[in-house]
Amino acid sequence: MATAQVREWTGLQQFPAQTQTALHSLLGRLRQENMESLTVLVLGKGGVGKSSTVNSMVGERVAVVSAFQSETLRPIQCSRSRAGFTLNIIDTPGLVEGGCVNDQALDIIRRFLLNKTIDAVLYVDRLDGYRVDNLDKQVIRAIARNFGPQIWRLALVVLTHAQLSPPDGVEYSDFVARRSAALTDAIRQEAGFKKAEDTVPVVLVENSGRCNTNTGGEKILPDGTVWLPNLVERIVEIATGPAKSLLIDKKLIEGPNANQRGKLWIPLLLLFQYFFVLKPIQSRINRDIEDERQNRPQWEVRAEQFRRTSMLEEERADEQAITDAFKQDNLDDLGELGDQFEGLDDDDDEF
Amino acid sequence: MAGLTCTNTGLSTGSGLLSHCADVFICSDSGAHSSVQPGGRGRGMRSLRGSATGPKKQRASSQNNVLSSFPWRRVVSCVAGVASGFGSVSAIAILSGGNGGGWGGEGGGYRGGGDGNGGHWWRNIFDNGMAFADGRNDDSEQYDSHGLRVDLRVHITKLNPNKRYKISEVELVDKRTKQAVSSKDPFYELVTLRPGSIATKAQLESEVENLLNCGMFQTVEMEGVTQADGSMKMQISFVESQWQPADSFRCVNVGLLSQSRLPDNEATMNDQQREEMAKIQEEEYKTRLRRARPCMLPKTVEREISGWLRTETRVTARMLQKIRDRVQRWYHEEGYACAQVVNFGNLNTNEVVCEVVEGDITKLQIQFLDKMGTPCEGVTKLQIIGRELPDQLRPGQVFNIEAGKKALRNVNGLALFSNIEVNPRPDEETDGGIVVEVKLKELEQKTAEVSTEWSVVPGSSGRPTLASIRPGGSVTFEHRNLYGLNRSILGCVTSSNLFNPQDDLGFKAEYVHPYVDGVDDPRNRTFKASCFNSRKLSAVFTGGTGQEEVPAIWVDRAGMKVNLTENFTRQSKLTYGLVVEEVTTRDETSAICTNGARTLPSGALSLEGPPTTHSDTGIDRVAFLQGNLTHDNTHFVNGTPVGSRNIFQWDQGLGIGSRFPFFNRHQISLTQFVQLQPEDTKDQLKPPPVLVLHGRYGGCVGDLATYDAFTLGGPYSVRGYNIGELAACRRFLELATELRIPINKTHAYGFLEYGTDLGSSKDVRGNPTEFFRRAGAGASYGVGVKLGSIRAEWAQDCNAGSGSLFVRFGERF
Repeated sequence: MATAQVREWTGLQQFPAQTQTALHSLLGRLRQENMESLTVLVLGKGGVGKSSTVNSMVGERVAVVSAFQSETLRPIQCSRSRAGFTLNIIDTPGLVEGGCVNDQALDIIRRFLLNKTIDAVLYVDRLDGYRVDNLDKQVIRAIARNFGPQIWRLALVVLTHAQLSPPDGVEYSDFVARRSAALTDAIRQEAGFKKAEDTVPVVLVENSGRCNTNTGGEKILPDGTVWLPNLVERIVEIATGPAKSLLIDKKLIEGPNANQRGKLWIPLLLLFQYFFVLKPIQSRINRDIEDERQNRPQWEVRAEQFRRTSMLEEERADEQAITDAFKQDNLDDLGELGDQFEGLDDDDDEF
Repeated sequence: MAGLTCTNTGLSTGSGLLSHCADVFICSDSGAHSSVQPGGRGRGMRSLRGSATGPKKQRASSQNNVLSSFPWRRVVSCVAGVASGFGSVSAIAILSGGNGGGWGGEGGGYRGGGDGNGGHWWRNIFDNGMAFADGRNDDSEQYDSHGLRVDLRVHITKLNPNKRYKISEVELVDKRTKQAVSSKDPFYELVTLRPGSIATKAQLESEVENLLNCGMFQTVEMEGVTQADGSMKMQISFVESQWQPADSFRCVNVGLLSQSRLPDNEATMNDQQREEMAKIQEEEYKTRLRRARPCMLPKTVEREISGWLRTETRVTARMLQKIRDRVQRWYHEEGYACAQVVNFGNLNTNEVVCEVVEGDITKLQIQFLDKMGTPCEGVTKLQIIGRELPDQLRPGQVFNIEAGKKALRNVNGLALFSNIEVNPRPDEETDGGIVVEVKLKELEQKTAEVSTEWSVVPGSSGRPTLASIRPGGSVTFEHRNLYGLNRSILGCVTSSNLFNPQDDLGFKAEYVHPYVDGVDDPRNRTFKASCFNSRKLSAVFTGGTGQEEVPAIWVDRAGMKVNLTENFTRQSKLTYGLVVEEVTTRDETSAICTNGARTLPSGALSLEGPPTTHSDTGIDRVAFLQGNLTHDNTHFVNGTPVGSRNIFQWDQGLGIGSRFPFFNRHQISLTQFVQLQPEDTKDQLKPPPVLVLHGRYGGCVGDLATYDAFTLGGPYSVRGYNIGELAACRRFLELATELRIPINKTHAYGFLEYGTDLGSSKDVRGNPTEFFRRAGAGASYGVGVKLGSIRAEWAQDCNAGSGSLFVRFGERF
């Protein structure tokens, strides 16, 4: 749908002439790299000036901006083409709601970005925010988690409300350096960048109409730089830089599918469980049974012993009957035996 | 009445009765024996009375005569029995036809009397204790003064038959030493007269008679010494029976040997016949000894007794009594409650032969009783009971109380009977035989039960109020013991609203078929088939520490299950089977839901939580194999378990069902109860200190539905946390240790527990651990006391750092 209705970038013509030439040369650089389109994702907390930045870049009022409330409720993509080149800028709702990361917003953005390729990400924050707090870190982390830490390699930190007078005794350049260092450090930390890696570039922006202009009508910062061509230049640098464009696909959004992981190993796992868990436990049970048999109480041992002998008893009883019959014949011998005892009897006469 | 009884509540009552068994059983035993030989008993009395009063000389000479004609007759039959009377007499030893008895004097009195039933050295048991108890149960304490001069010795024959004498003291005087024996002498046990009792002349005479009958004494005379207060001091002078010294001892088992009988016309026999008779008897005795089976008495005891014999210069009645007590004590300590020393043979030779009836079982009877206790036809097939009875209770074995206990335990395990008794009873047909009676009262086959529950919650004013007026509850129907083969059908319907049960109807129907391999096969496998419909609150969808309420997800499972259970030991078993079920996840309004929900800080409900089911539709259908192997060798030491228990559980998906779930879900739990001190044998109720070590691991490979994720936290996982408070994960590890220290009759314990999801929470779809802001891991420690079946414990939650008090039922491990 986007490609069908891509509008001509009319806003470009309204920029001051010097800005126009600067932008044209940048677009030319992109064409040299065989890039026919550039997709820029704008992320950031609510009310930091994401939509205003988009409007400034396009030179048109593409996003509704209100000073007192958040107007952007869902992501908006604006596409402008100029001489066969398409610029896509995706404006997103603020990621913070009520002091927390707005998971719902992130989820909506994720769905919106499905199957899109991102060339650069603008992480927008205010320059006049004095410190990086926990919430900022949470937002940075949430972005990394939702789109993968790779997204931070495409990022450009955009600090809005750049036209400010720093607190007493601080040089403007010094203030900017400290503010941007704090943010980039947080990003480096939360996105898990290595120390050797380049930090995320920082660009200053002033969207307000009160922004000072130079003689050519270009908006300039307190330090005199013209910020719009500078911003686009940095975007182009990132887009043409070593970091690859990011295709937001299902896998990236839902994370690696843990359900699929290791599925093929299940039969092997089953075998492992059978031989190395089930069997050892079973052998322990058998050992228990054996132990119980060995340590059975004395009465059980005796019961077994005497049962065995009583079985023999039956056989012996038959034998007995035979010997009895035999003995009966030798009764006389026994009589003699009795006489022998008689001698002893006399001892007992005292009774 | 006697023996081992078990009411279906448990063994404790049964074992209480067991201790009485020996006494009561023997009581009935002796009764039976005395009734077998009533004639002999009567005659014995007559002849022995003669000996007490008859001239001594005549007796001696005639004895001589007898002895010369019965050269081996030094063998004296000694009968020992134990009878319990009315509490006054606990044990009476009886020697019948004692050597000193005046058999000859009374003209063959010996044979006519003590040997009246043949030349057997068998027992005659006289329940004299009972007779006296009756006599002494007189109503009043009144007595008549003797009316004589003080300090006069009066022979009891000279007493006034109409007077009731008060006995102030009883004294036994050995005639040989002319000394009164010490009051601790075992002979005092034989005397039933007690100081302070009142007796008539007739009673005193029969006392003397009984003392003579018991065979311990050659002569017994009783004299009264008149006292100043009108009472009498009874002096019993006796001559103890004695035989020539012996230096060895042997014990033989004469159980089940038939008694030889002699012709009754001994009185008419001349000397020659008598001599022949003697030879026959001697021969018979030898045969008898030869046929006697070896006896269980260990050689050590025999040697111990031989040692006693060697130190004595004579074998005395007292010695025999001591031997008898020792032998019987050994038997009774070993649980042979029916064993008895019945006779001492071979006296006056080098070897004393102790004849023992060990209590051989001749018959095993299984009897069913109806509610009134009268015998009836039982439904249960006899093989079912037979396979539970230990081999040691079968005919041919010696009755042991432990075997009885085991039988009781096993039969009770069938859960078919409301009352079980195992009684040993003397066999009327075989002497010395025991019939083991198993008496069973069957439970009703069909039972139905309705139970209701009303929920009570604190009302607005703090008073308890009914949560709703709808009663919840269950209706259960059970048909037990189908065909008498212990098969059963169970049906159960539960609902939280019995008036309108279609809202949430849980049901379970189960068929249990034990002895799959046949009743006679020792392999014990039970088949079970059930269909079920249950509703449970899922612990996967709960919030973490400090998290506000998470909308509940109910998991309905409806399906069927078939499995086989094989019992290896009493506690170790293997179960395997197939489960086919439909799992539906519902929210609080009972509507099917597909995702978990969470209240956002703004108050809105985030419905995009983790998917509840594998198929994303809220309904999963799945078939899988299920198995469980339990290895349990815990045993109780003074009431606390010691040993180890290992359980391995696995579910193997078959790829059948919604989105073809194929998975392997496994869990292994190892628990070790280590006894730290040896058992306290003195105090049976004091459990030893025990260290419990516990580890559990679970994991799942393949498709894992969220409701099947493992949860961490809860009273059976990591104490101090709510159920599922720590994590819902794919793999987990749980470690716990508990130290139990006895306090009085119970124990106190301290524990330390830890559970971790091993970083696997992210591998569950939707990551419920993170979605509900759970920690993923946590430890806790605490202390507690066990009070009966209740555990009161205080647990410190290390994540939040707060402690809380819990009261729980049952055991953690």
